[in-house]
Amino acid sequence: MPSVIKYIKAKPWLKVAVVLLLIVIVIVGCSITIDSIDQPDSVNGGDTFNTTLHVTISTNTSADNRKFMVAVLVPKMWNTAKNATITFTSDITTGVQKMSLIPAGTAAPQGSGRDWPTLITDVIGNGGNLLPGWEWVAFYSDAAYSVGGNVEFGVTVNISVKVSQDNVSFKLGYVVANNSDGLSDPQYYASAFPGCFRVFGTGDLTDFCNPQLSSTDPLNALDNDILTLGFDGGIIDNALQDASDVYLCLKGVTDDGDTLDVCRQDSTTLLTQYSIKKWRIDIWPRSILNVPEGKRLESLLYYFTDKTGTIKVGKTGDDSTPFTYTFKCQ
Amino acid sequence: MKKISILIPALMLMMFWSCSREKFVVPGEASKSVDGTWKIVKALRNGTDLTSRFDFSHFSITFKDSSYSIDSLVPFAVEKNGTYRLDDPQYPFRMYIKQQDSSEKPIDIQYPFTDGVRSIVISFSPGCTSNTYQYTLQKIN
Repeated sequence: MPSVIKYIKAKPWLKVAVVLLLIVIVIVGCSITIDSIDQPDSVNGGDTFNTTLHVTISTNTSADNRKFMVAVLVPKMWNTAKNATITFTSDITTGVQKMSLIPAGTAAPQGSGRDWPTLITDVIGNGGNLLPGWEWVAFYSDAAYSVGGNVEFGVTVNISVKVSQDNVSFKLGYVVANNSDGLSDPQYYASAFPGCFRVFGTGDLTDFCNPQLSSTDPLNALDNDILTLGFDGGIIDNALQDASDVYLCLKGVTDDGDTLDVCRQDSTTLLTQYSIKKWRIDIWPRSILNVPEGKRLESLLYYFTDKTGTIKVGKTGDDSTPFTYTFKCQ
Repeated sequence: MKKISILIPALMLMMFWSCSREKFVVPGEASKSVDGTWKIVKALRNGTDLTSRFDFSHFSITFKDSSYSIDSLVPFAVEKNGTYRLDDPQYPFRMYIKQQDSSEKPIDIQYPFTDGVRSIVISFSPGCTSNTYQYTLQKIN
């Protein structure tokens, strides 16, 4: 190290270059970090959970009229835009600072016209949630602030979200940024994904965290929707993991308790392979089960079968328990 | 030379007199007619393209005058035959469909003309309102 310093001292032009480099680092340098998160592991359906983000912001130049931005990654079914409250306190403000929902479609700064949810999705992603039905919901501080240069201060963000009654396992996510720099450079924002969060609610578990032997899209639908039933044969050992053809064996339960079956192996029940060991079929439940006019389906029970129909795979990888789907809207 | 100096101003004067005020009439936008039989060429569910994944070939809808008849084996905004009207025949953005024994139902439409082909783009929710379907229809020749 001393030899390096000696070498630099010996070269005047190198001294100038080092000084300039340090100046550039000081001027450009700026950071925002989420140092820690206090969040429960689970909550009961319909309850409210609280998360606290401990954030540190460092500045090198002063800035005026900056709004603080906080976004949360949540399941759409929670309707978080209407069911969340976010406030913060900081070393440079007095009292609790309120935040408000940023209306959908509002352009984010330096986002090429994209709104905050779209920009965050493009730049940061969806936290590894495996099912559709997630969303980023963004909030701005109600007030704008002036921040001095070369200061470091702490911000404590308090997030309160009321969850729905649904039985859910989900990877929550958080992003903090400001209304001027947006997500234009990693130094201007921070994100965190503290892991899988569980809601002990009612109905079938919607598991965003773990790969499922069978998935459904949309998550919420009625019998008059087109429903995609997926089969991932590589998740656990099962009798169809190396199958060349996979078929759907379906039973529908109507609102008057009647059951309707379709368990044939033909083109109407044949799944399409779209990736290695991954299959799917798009069905119109009312049509494939020939639901009489005036009746509606309340739920589906289904297996996947081979071409002969003798091998069946259900929820546990064998024929002991069928997959289930309950028709409902948010 | 003297003859030419008289002739040129005279010609210019005649050219000026030959000018007359041109009557410029802005052509009115033609009324859009959806009469004919239409089939589905593209189908989206919540933005996901299902066109090649689901059999939409058995769907057709025929508009004639103020009535429509439907032959559908896919989810659609209506299930039975009935009547329809456009909110604005010149610039239609909404179609009001009234199927038999039912009240009038508004459906958002677009009426683009792309690649020389007229299309109707219909958006609706046959099941949960959170699930939006967008069908692009083109006329069967």
